[in-house]
Amino acid sequence: MASITQTNDLFSSRSQNRFGEPVVVLKNITKRFPGVVALDKVSLDIRKGEIHALLGENGAGKSTLVKILYGIYAPDEGEIIIEGKRVTINDPREAINLGIVMVSQTPQLIDSLTVAENIMLALNKYGIFTPISKAINYIKKVGEEIGIKIDPKIEVWRLTYTQKQLVEILRATLLGAKVLLLDEAITYLPLEEKKKFYKFIKTFADKGGSVVLITHKIYEAMDIADRITVLRLGRVIGTVNKKDVTIDDVRKMMFGEKSAEITYERLPSSKPEEKIILRVKDLWVKGDFGEYIVKGATLAVRAGEVVGIAGIAGNGQKELIEAIMGLRKVVKGKIFFENEEITNKGTAYVRRKGVGYIPDIPVRYGVSLDNTIEENIAIIPLFTGFIINWDKIRDLANKLINEYAITTPSSTTPVKFLSGGNIMKVLVSRELVAAKKLLIAYNPTRALDEVTAIKVRKIIKKKALEERVAVLFASEDLDEVFQLSDTILVMNSGKIVGRFEAEKARRGEIEKLMVM
Amino acid sequence: MVLLNLLKYRLIIVKRVKPIPYGGVIIPIVSLITGILLSAIILWVLVAIPPLELFSSIAHSVLSPVVLKSFIMLSLIGLALVISFRGAVWNIGGEGQIMMGVLVSTYIALFTALGTMPIVSKIVMVILAAIAGALWAAIAGILRAYLGVDEVPITLLMNYIAYYIIDTLVNGPWKGKHTWGYIRTDEIPRASRFITIPGTTITVEAVILLIVVYIAAWYILNYTSLGLRIRILGSNPDLLKSAGINVPITIILALTISGAIAGIVGAIYLAGIIHRIPYPIEAQTANYGYTGILVAWLSMLDLRAVPIAAYIVGILEASSIRLARAAVMYIFMGTVLLTYTVTRIFSEYTIKFVKKM
Repeated sequence: MASITQTNDLFSSRSQNRFGEPVVVLKNITKRFPGVVALDKVSLDIRKGEIHALLGENGAGKSTLVKILYGIYAPDEGEIIIEGKRVTINDPREAINLGIVMVSQTPQLIDSLTVAENIMLALNKYGIFTPISKAINYIKKVGEEIGIKIDPKIEVWRLTYTQKQLVEILRATLLGAKVLLLDEAITYLPLEEKKKFYKFIKTFADKGGSVVLITHKIYEAMDIADRITVLRLGRVIGTVNKKDVTIDDVRKMMFGEKSAEITYERLPSSKPEEKIILRVKDLWVKGDFGEYIVKGATLAVRAGEVVGIAGIAGNGQKELIEAIMGLRKVVKGKIFFENEEITNKGTAYVRRKGVGYIPDIPVRYGVSLDNTIEENIAIIPLFTGFIINWDKIRDLANKLINEYAITTPSSTTPVKFLSGGNIMKVLVSRELVAAKKLLIAYNPTRALDEVTAIKVRKIIKKKALEERVAVLFASEDLDEVFQLSDTILVMNSGKIVGRFEAEKARRGEIEKLMVM
Repeated sequence: MVLLNLLKYRLIIVKRVKPIPYGGVIIPIVSLITGILLSAIILWVLVAIPPLELFSSIAHSVLSPVVLKSFIMLSLIGLALVISFRGAVWNIGGEGQIMMGVLVSTYIALFTALGTMPIVSKIVMVILAAIAGALWAAIAGILRAYLGVDEVPITLLMNYIAYYIIDTLVNGPWKGKHTWGYIRTDEIPRASRFITIPGTTITVEAVILLIVVYIAAWYILNYTSLGLRIRILGSNPDLLKSAGINVPITIILALTISGAIAGIVGAIYLAGIIHRIPYPIEAQTANYGYTGILVAWLSMLDLRAVPIAAYIVGILEASSIRLARAAVMYIFMGTVLLTYTVTRIFSEYTIKFVKKM
């Protein structure tokens, strides 16, 4: 187990990479789920000291593979060899004992305990008499070195997502991880903070640890990985050295012919009408901890206009959007929909006006995992009266399944059996139908792979161009903001600090306002 | 989790990706059988009822006429509870809602002119009993929906409030005149009594009500937006919020519908079975409100399975009456609910043999 003293010199400069022996070898792993082969004879080796990206589009089998390695699923066929010995991993505890530790995208921390207590809890090797100051000092030290401040003595519920993920990763290294599995663990971090994690991960690898980075973002893999293994439809397409390939090569591996569809060019501009659909005036909204987080935001969205809010997570975008949707109380200020005041009128009222909504954390606020696709559509009041006409709902569900190429056995399949990307498609497609006049979205494509994300952006743009729907979205992905918006707003510290026509906007200027 | 090492193979227990096939049938059956076996041991050791006697009394009860009566009552209360349980609203107050149904029906039958009017009397009794049960449940619903008070203790404690309201009335203004000195109400007039189907323990009205309520419950849960909202309330209330659905109202409605059906059970209980309220009621009630919880769980909250579960629980109840020990039913209830909980957890795991290295 890596003791605390051992990690003191964790941040030496990254030496020239020397990959050692394979630490983990997967041989011909096959896993079938009812109706699908999730993994088909997948073979892979993870070497000592390397950062190995496992890249694939939604539903490629990345998560399944990692869950097998972590003992959550048992493979139907194939072998796992760790440091030369064949093993079976029956549960995460066994995986941890073998030196394999996973950090997932959802923090697994106990909210009511402090950061230090959470860390101490995981480390049963510490013994019950270890002073908590040991953990406290370690957290402080690493936090400072990475550049993310965490007070080890505060309860976890007060932390931001970034801070929670840092705690998770610190805990994993303290557990003595030889192989760190990062399952989209840094994918959703704000860009600035993501870069801070890169340094930490690289140092970990330099010290002889191995990192498996599971991601659907090519850039993430290209930024940091030494080798990249691409999965598609449950098969390994290939493993390459990053140095030998370009982004386009990897894209082709990942998407095949579809990779030609990927572009980051701006989508055609939509000419906004005169008519203002949504107007927000000097809005003040409180955050989860009772402090003001939206501090006098003012904006307007015209029919046919796509307005993108750029900003680093935590600057009030989420709360602004929730307040517009009637999900969060407006303390001061006004919201108008087509000149009618809708401030604090409730979500039902807002939605009835023809407003679609793509929320943050879609699996919690956007769909109900235990219910079928049809039920997840019918729950929106717009689609049904008191008596549900299931035939009509089924037609709509099948239409969306075809239009958005949602991979599912049927429209009556519980959503939990779909891949993350397909769940997102169910949500997005449903809300696009609901958005007769206005679409409100937060990170509308963040769980989607590039091809699907661009497809969704094109559909959103088409809604604005052809149906003259007004769109207001906030995104932490600046590429997305540039590609989709007609007008770019920059939000910082609860205020809109800049407004640009997307055609003339310069990236540097916007980035400057974001971090100002 | 390694259980044991057997020569070349070892046995491991792994979590299932999907729940076991036919779990909806296998889980209740397995838990029922193990629960009854466990009960047999407990009764044998503690109360010296020989297992054979217990099993023979169960076997004899399968076709006993008493079962039919329990079947109807338990099916109805089972339906009531399944509706609220599907919304993760835990209505433990079926008993109190039944009692409010009993109270209102008694009032109509004994103390209004309607009591002697054929048909009208019965219709008014059933409707007002449903409303009374609904309102009684709504109290807990409002507390849960708007103040976040846990509905389990509230509904449970309100059962006793209902008992004592009835006791106060029966040992007071409602005390009967033709009771040979017993404290109880007079019998309700003939016009208000449900008509027994000759040769059985059940009444025509009860059968009709079961059919009507069953269809209504089925329809509400599966074909109305209210039913869908209740089901999603049980699986992801956060989605309801962002879909713009009033979550507190949905909680209240889940409990109210549940209470209304329980109220109807109360009307049937009075007009079809007891015909008068005994004193003290808490010592003489048939406890359908509690037994119904067992029915709801054994049905795996599936309306289709409710009648089957009700019949099985009815058999257990009849055999408990046959053995003339009321406590037997409680032991059945306790053990079966316990084994049910355990088997349900185990249904999520599977046993595999893996070749040793």
